[in-house]
Amino acid sequence: MQHYVNRGGSSSEGSAVSLSAFAYVYSELVQYHQGRAASISELERRLESAGYGVGLKVLELVAYRTKETKRETRLMSILHFVSSSVWKALFGKSADSLERSIDHADEFMIVDYEPITSTFVSVPPDLGQLSADAYVSGIIAGVLDGAGFSARVTAHSVNVEEGEYAKPQGGNVVTGLPARKDKAVFLVKFSQEVLARDAALER
Amino acid sequence: MSSKSQAAQAGQALWAKMPKANAELFALTYGSLVTELVRDYEDPIEVNAQLDRIGYSIGVRCVDEFLSKADVAGMGLTTQCQNLRDTAEVVAKMGFKMFLGIQAEVGAFSQDQRCFSIYLQDNPLSTFVELPEDDPSGGEDLRRLKYSNLYCGVIRGALEQVNLKVDCNIVRDTLKGDELNEIRVELKEVLADGAGDDYKEE
Repeated sequence: MQHYVNRGGSSSEGSAVSLSAFAYVYSELVQYHQGRAASISELERRLESAGYGVGLKVLELVAYRTKETKRETRLMSILHFVSSSVWKALFGKSADSLERSIDHADEFMIVDYEPITSTFVSVPPDLGQLSADAYVSGIIAGVLDGAGFSARVTAHSVNVEEGEYAKPQGGNVVTGLPARKDKAVFLVKFSQEVLARDAALER
Repeated sequence: MSSKSQAAQAGQALWAKMPKANAELFALTYGSLVTELVRDYEDPIEVNAQLDRIGYSIGVRCVDEFLSKADVAGMGLTTQCQNLRDTAEVVAKMGFKMFLGIQAEVGAFSQDQRCFSIYLQDNPLSTFVELPEDDPSGGEDLRRLKYSNLYCGVIRGALEQVNLKVDCNIVRDTLKGDELNEIRVELKEVLADGAGDDYKEE
């Protein structure tokens, strides 16, 4: 099968389906991989791998539509591209924040307080640290890799501190669910070549 | 039962209230699932069966969401579907609309009123997808793949929860060059209520 960006006829850009429809299909994707994974980390790898292919396509789509004539060559630019343009295209809003790690020069974090891949998911205790958002890490990795910035991307569920996020009264206004206690943090660790290249471009 | 336009209006109202997700992400996610299935099962006929099974699992769950939301909007569905024709209208105008935002039509009712077709002009599952050309050397002929077979499972699973046992088949597919998508639904049996023999009182 191939995926084509521009078929004749109506464009799919901006069109929507219900969040439920996405959640059902995503749930089946996770369950399918769960049935074939021998461990939690294998399941996460499978989900990341599923997202990677999507990421490559999303990069093409978003880059084409924003009509950027020049490729991003700088690290901060590509991160901004991901946390705003790509996030807006996929989730209808920019990522909630983009941060760089204090301890590691090669690590950055993209934060989303309401990731749709885990909106309706509850992780049972025996699956421990599994993040259902691993699919999104795969998407990010695909976008970055496709743009020439190879990176290892992992998804983490992190507790939200008191007052950290101005939660809407009564919880999530979109789904009507109570406000989440954890946010998704996508840790992006760039490869050494990428960092070296970016440093060289600095001069 | 409400007339056709009432079902369409109700469908529109339900769709408006649903939280939304990006349709392209939806299509790409489904594509990822189908790709994985093709990789694991290879034989397109087997993949079709898997898609139907997965759709069934979704159908069984989404019908609860549908009935609760449709009821809340004051439509009292459980008292309104008097026959298969009404059911068909509800599935097409309210079900498809609410979950996918698309306008589906019904038609081609059989003489005995036990079969009907659902027509989809747009298919959110197959955005960006093309099936490969016929492979002259044989191989796994992906043109035998029913890419949107998920719908068949969903309809089957959902209707079974309301005691209608149906068979569903994709008979026309825009991915194969047809001008629209057609799902043929055939009523096999109206199931009796009840939890089954195991639960009968002694």
